Amino acid sequence: MKSTLALAAAVCAGTAVAAPCGEALDAKARQRVESGELVVAWAPRPAAIPLDKHFQLDIAVCGAPVAALRVDADMPAHRHGMNYRTTVTGAGEGRFSAQGLMFHMPGRWRLIFDVDSGGRTQRLTQEIEVR
Amino acid sequence: MRRSLALLALGLVLAAPARATLLDFSPEERAAIARHGPWPPAPAHDAGNAQSGRREAIALGQRLFFDPRLSPSGQVACASCHVPALAFADGRARSQGLAALDRNAPSLWNAVHERWQAWDGAADSLWSQSIRPLLDTREMGATPAHVQAAIGADRELACRYQRTFGRQPSAQGAEATMVDAAKAIGAFVATLVSPRTPFDDFRDALVRGDRLAAARYPLPAQRGLRLFIGKGQCALCHLGPRFSNGEFADTGLAFFSRPGAVDPGRHGGIEALRASAYTLLSTWADGADATPTRHVQLQHRNFGEFKVPSLRHVARTAPYMHDGQLATLEDVVRHYSELNVERLHADGEQILRPLGLGDDEKADLVAFLRTLNSPGVTSWRPGRLSACG
Repeated sequence: MKSTLALAAAVCAGTAVAAPCGEALDAKARQRVESGELVVAWAPRPAAIPLDKHFQLDIAVCGAPVAALRVDADMPAHRHGMNYRTTVTGAGEGRFSAQGLMFHMPGRWRLIFDVDSGGRTQRLTQEIEVR
Repeated sequence: MRRSLALLALGLVLAAPARATLLDFSPEERAAIARHGPWPPAPAHDAGNAQSGRREAIALGQRLFFDPRLSPSGQVACASCHVPALAFADGRARSQGLAALDRNAPSLWNAVHERWQAWDGAADSLWSQSIRPLLDTREMGATPAHVQAAIGADRELACRYQRTFGRQPSAQGAEATMVDAAKAIGAFVATLVSPRTPFDDFRDALVRGDRLAAARYPLPAQRGLRLFIGKGQCALCHLGPRFSNGEFADTGLAFFSRPGAVDPGRHGGIEALRASAYTLLSTWADGADATPTRHVQLQHRNFGEFKVPSLRHVARTAPYMHDGQLATLEDVVRHYSELNVERLHADGEQILRPLGLGDDEKADLVAFLRTLNSPGVTSWRPGRLSACG
């Protein structure tokens, strides 16, 4: 019985419910990346990132007040980034919108979120496969 | 008798149709092939051009496209470098306007589906692109005033202009009339969508699971297609139904356009786009989504990059590359097979490597590329226009 409880505790610890972030974003498309206290939740529009077409990201940053956010992407294996520079617009309360993203090749892309907070910049990245 | 039978048997063998065979394409390969269709795509309009799709504007644009009087010389029309019988290219390595040019004339088929026009992408619409050769002193050498006068002086053109725009050519400033003319030309070019090809029939048969129909696609082309989507990694850039991502790449070509002169390619294209008064961000545009123009980024690596051309009807548009430096499709395949990696930018993409193809593989790849063709791309005939003027 004791070992069963210990196992349950371990499972609960491993699957602890993450602090909510970006609950207003499209739940079907929402993803999140975190580092320490900082959480970036994002959802693309359209919901499935299209290949070779422009799209935008709705973003929520949680865990710390954000002075500025920059969004970029690259293909590390190909050693190139996007051909377009994003524009990030703040909507208050940690909500942002990034326009102008476009993935011009199929393969593994890395989304890059540079968050200015508390006088320093933290970089959070997330890799995604685009077909 | 024995000799007759032997001859009969030989005759039967020779007369028998070649056995149709379908390669064992994997599910991943089938998915990759499916992504090159369907064709034709959904109809598109010239961006920022309210005249695109309008019958009157298309008729005017067709007339203007073939009219050398738009050039003060009276000798150069749009159709001088975009010849219908040559797939709306000109068959030359480098085009000839009023002066010798540095680049190969791209085919205009399917140009309406391009995000950027020309090898350097300096225009973001067909109408905007139409203005460039009109005003370029090396191409047609016109001025807005000349274009306005040329249209106004011809009874039929003036009538078609009036019918399209609801005013006389002289009713506004010359620049506005020239932009109108460019929008009519853009509306005409937007109608050029190439017919289906043997590849499209194969792709559709594969998608619907019709093995019999798919097996009619020549075996060398099937092997070439497998190379194209696999070992060759061609589909990284030549993707989708148009076989192009519409973006730009440095493919290790010699970059001197003339002794001592380097073609800056996309780098110069972005600079020209930003300097242009006729982009989708300008007041001349009829309300379009200008996202690409607004966000395009000038980078050092753009230097020497040129547009990834569509491969549809590529067999009809020799010679190849931005300056026509490769004469045949075989030369193009050899270029990628034996690529000089030393020529590529040190800070550029790490995608291209010499493919090291064998002779059979090169022949298969060319056989595949030849199936992206339809005879219709060289047999375009102008539609009959109703009388005007």
